[in-house]
Amino acid sequence: MGNKGWSVLFGVTMLACAIGFGISPLMGWWMPEGVSTHAGAVDGLFYLILVVTTIAFVITEVILVVFMWRYAETPDGKPPIAANAGFPSFLKPFERFLNDQHKVELAWTIVPSIVLVVIVFAQVNTWADIKYATRNRNDATAANKARSQVAVSARQFEWRMRYPSVSRFKGWMANPAATRKDFESFGKIPHFNDVHVVNELHIWKDHPVVVHLTTRDVIHSFNLPNFRVKQDALPGKMIPVWFTPTKVNCKWDESRQRYIDGYDPAGKKEKDKEYTWDIACAELCGWGHYRMIGRVFVHKDQAEFLDWLQKTEAEGTRRN
Amino acid sequence: MDSHAEHATDTHGHAHPELGFIRKYVFSEDHKIIGVQFLFTSIIFLGLGGILALLVRIQLAWPHAEIPLIHNYFADNGGRMSESFYNMCFTMHASVMIFFVIIPFLTGAFGNFTIPLMIGAGDMAFPKLNMMSYWILWPAFVLISFSFFVDGGAAASGWTAYPTISSVAMPAGQGLASPAAPGSGPGQVLWLLSLLCVGVSSMMGSVNYITTIINMRAPGMTLYRMPMTIWAMFITAILQAFALPVLTVALILQTLDKTIGTTFFLPDGLSFGNWSPEVGGGQPLLWQHLFWFYSHPAVYIMILPSMGMVSDILATFARRPLFGYRAMIYSIAGIAGLGFIVWGHHMFQSGMDPRLGTGFMVATIMIALPSAIKTFNWLGTIYRGNLQFTTPMLFALGFVSLFIIGGLSGIFMAATPVDIYIHDTYFIVAHIHYVLFASSLLGIFGGIYYWFPKMFGKMMNDNVGKAHFFLTFVLCNCTFFPMHMVGLAGLRRRIPDITAGALEAKLLPLNEFMSISALLLGLAQLIFVANFLWSIFFGAKASQNPWKSNTLEWTTGDPVPGHGNFDTVPIVHCGPYEYGEHGDKDNCPQTEKSTTPATH
Ligand code: HEM
Ligand SMILES: [Cu+2]
Ligand SMILES: [Cu+2]
Repeated sequence: MGNKGWSVLFGVTMLACAIGFGISPLMGWWMPEGVSTHAGAVDGLFYLILVVTTIAFVITEVILVVFMWRYAETPDGKPPIAANAGFPSFLKPFERFLNDQHKVELAWTIVPSIVLVVIVFAQVNTWADIKYATRNRNDATAANKARSQVAVSARQFEWRMRYPSVSRFKGWMANPAATRKDFESFGKIPHFNDVHVVNELHIWKDHPVVVHLTTRDVIHSFNLPNFRVKQDALPGKMIPVWFTPTKVNCKWDESRQRYIDGYDPAGKKEKDKEYTWDIACAELCGWGHYRMIGRVFVHKDQAEFLDWLQKTEAEGTRRN
Repeated sequence: MDSHAEHATDTHGHAHPELGFIRKYVFSEDHKIIGVQFLFTSIIFLGLGGILALLVRIQLAWPHAEIPLIHNYFADNGGRMSESFYNMCFTMHASVMIFFVIIPFLTGAFGNFTIPLMIGAGDMAFPKLNMMSYWILWPAFVLISFSFFVDGGAAASGWTAYPTISSVAMPAGQGLASPAAPGSGPGQVLWLLSLLCVGVSSMMGSVNYITTIINMRAPGMTLYRMPMTIWAMFITAILQAFALPVLTVALILQTLDKTIGTTFFLPDGLSFGNWSPEVGGGQPLLWQHLFWFYSHPAVYIMILPSMGMVSDILATFARRPLFGYRAMIYSIAGIAGLGFIVWGHHMFQSGMDPRLGTGFMVATIMIALPSAIKTFNWLGTIYRGNLQFTTPMLFALGFVSLFIIGGLSGIFMAATPVDIYIHDTYFIVAHIHYVLFASSLLGIFGGIYYWFPKMFGKMMNDNVGKAHFFLTFVLCNCTFFPMHMVGLAGLRRRIPDITAGALEAKLLPLNEFMSISALLLGLAQLIFVANFLWSIFFGAKASQNPWKSNTLEWTTGDPVPGHGNFDTVPIVHCGPYEYGEHGDKDNCPQTEKSTTPATH
């Protein structure tokens, strides 16, 4: 390969990477559509960083490739540029600046610092909103007003969900002030008539839910990629997780006599992958880690959720 | 510095009596031989780690297929790889690559080989300690190799070995089998002990490097005349000396949990299947803090020496002074300093107080700054150069090109809200491999091609080397770049069957592409091995200074100096980067008086 050939190799390879990345959204190799209120902010920050890093990537790689081309040793051993060669014409206006090494160094220290500081500050509020909210009892954020609660206990290799009984749940809804104490202790104190379900998280649209997350054996991770939610379940600790679903994906199936997910309400399509929302364990937890997958069922409203809760409770009672 | 001249004189070559083969090549105290010993063992473990990686890739692309060659081993699973075996493969792949390949390559092989030679010393400050630092690795090799054959197989809870899956044990006296995972039994204990030995080895090395660099520089070799390789080794050794004790403590605590039933990492109230431990009271997060307090600095231990070597290689073959020499040093120091306060970025989703996450994010994003400065300086170095595309130069340029990608992907993960989505996905795996394979390892290859003449007195074949570079550069991008995309699409790391999840199954074709690239990438490394071995015996004879470099190792009498290195103590007159613009000569060795006004 000729000397200049190497710059071509570098250029082509980097271009291929960039193009591959560019077409990924079209190929479906990209983040799935976000279906919670966290998604907008998280994706926005992702795109902000994507823009900044793309610019940095293009600038540095182009410079590298151009230099490799321009300053490649010539076959006859002569220096590729004359020792006193000036700048190419388009850089002429900056000649004074570029010849002052100190200034150049100052510039490439200060400019990235500013960009990085901007990136840092852009993150802070979103992070606080997603992760601190439920920890602060006096906080009047959506998370603390949530009247939808689920206690999730992970174990090798399934998610066990505990819901309030129908009567308890109705009590909360009817009189939030009077039931506040009972409501707040739900995560910590199980009741004998709680409703237990495996691997199914039932919530309803546009209503925040608080998940009280624990594990009884090893670390798992409560990972809802479609909702941009991820939180490790830590042995010996209960961690609150909150989010608000923004889309519906389930309906009552008359023939099977149960609620099914993976349902696209607009297109009335069943078993739609885009509407199948996994709770896919994201922290290595043993041989069955990969298939430790639950599902999220987002009901269209509270009434439908209550209907599901009643049916499930009745089933449990029947079983007993 | 003059007082050191005295010391250096009495260590030169001819003062030593002839040694027998065993003392000369096996239990050698010569830093160069020890360096080469590290080099050979690292290359062998690179092979092992590579095979494990390919097993992982095969399983990822063809999750339901029979495994070729070794399917008999999985007879009771229909010839298919079991999930536990897969977990063992990636755990041991990472453990081997990090603790038995990259670290021994960089600090062991290159640290040993380059430090005394490049500062003009006869040997390390403590040659016997140096010998020990190599031989203490052998218990580690034996333990880790043996662990594949014990009950339950080798460790399988990830190279991060998070409790409780790694650490929970039956009560003392009931054997080592783990209630949580088969690989967390005796295999995990051997893993812990083996890493302890590696840690002791690194500690011995770092003490030696720090002392040698501080005390044994040749006359005139001021700190600001040291080549970047040495600066990088120096700062790396300091990182190791401060970070390793913490890992050692963590390993010992986990070993105690596993063997005598302590519960440092095991909280109350757990149950595994239908067995519950009687005592708890420990903290699983404690391990993560201790582990990352070491392992984040360790990722810099795994890159800084490569950066140093790349800096030297770039200046040599661009025939230009290194741009911003001091800024380069301060960046490395900055990376190392900040490196101690960013460990929590591995724990954003761990259940650690999220307010702490905010603090760690600030430090982490700022650490991208010195990385950026270094990149700009490398570009500044080749600007207006006379680039000679030798094999080492190509690997160095490859490093620069791909480190950019690895550094930039770090920013995504450092941003806490974005990390919620990409943590524990293949995006992380992409990042790791851009910084460790596409950067550290390319730097290592560059270093091997560059110093091979000094090590063996022969040249490696340049054309074959270029073929190796071409294939490695292209195929490593094919293997690792799409990992960004599948990671964004939600593919979790550490899963043996990607068809299980709703988001993941559709990524199978891309996985196949990456796996085929990986297999070819693995094959391409055989070109390197062949070139390496062939050149040791049949390579063209190297001249004294084949690359026309300035640094001291190229001023020794013989191309491969004997024990003691220098016949007469070198006296240093100028910095290491006086290339180009020297009349008809385009370099100025450090032992000569500079013809241009000294810049440093
Ligand atoms: C620009 C500088 C860098 C930044 C901002 C950065 C940031 C990060 C962050 C935030 C993570 C954690 C991601 C997660 O688990 O969610 C991470 C993981 C990692 N980084 Fe970096 N990084 C940088 C450079 C490097 C370098 C130079 C290396 C090694 C040579 C490295 C090696 C690793 C490794 C091995 C992991 C994964 C550990 C694991 O979970 O197995 N990083 N990095
Ligand atoms: Cu799990
Ligand atoms: Cu880190």
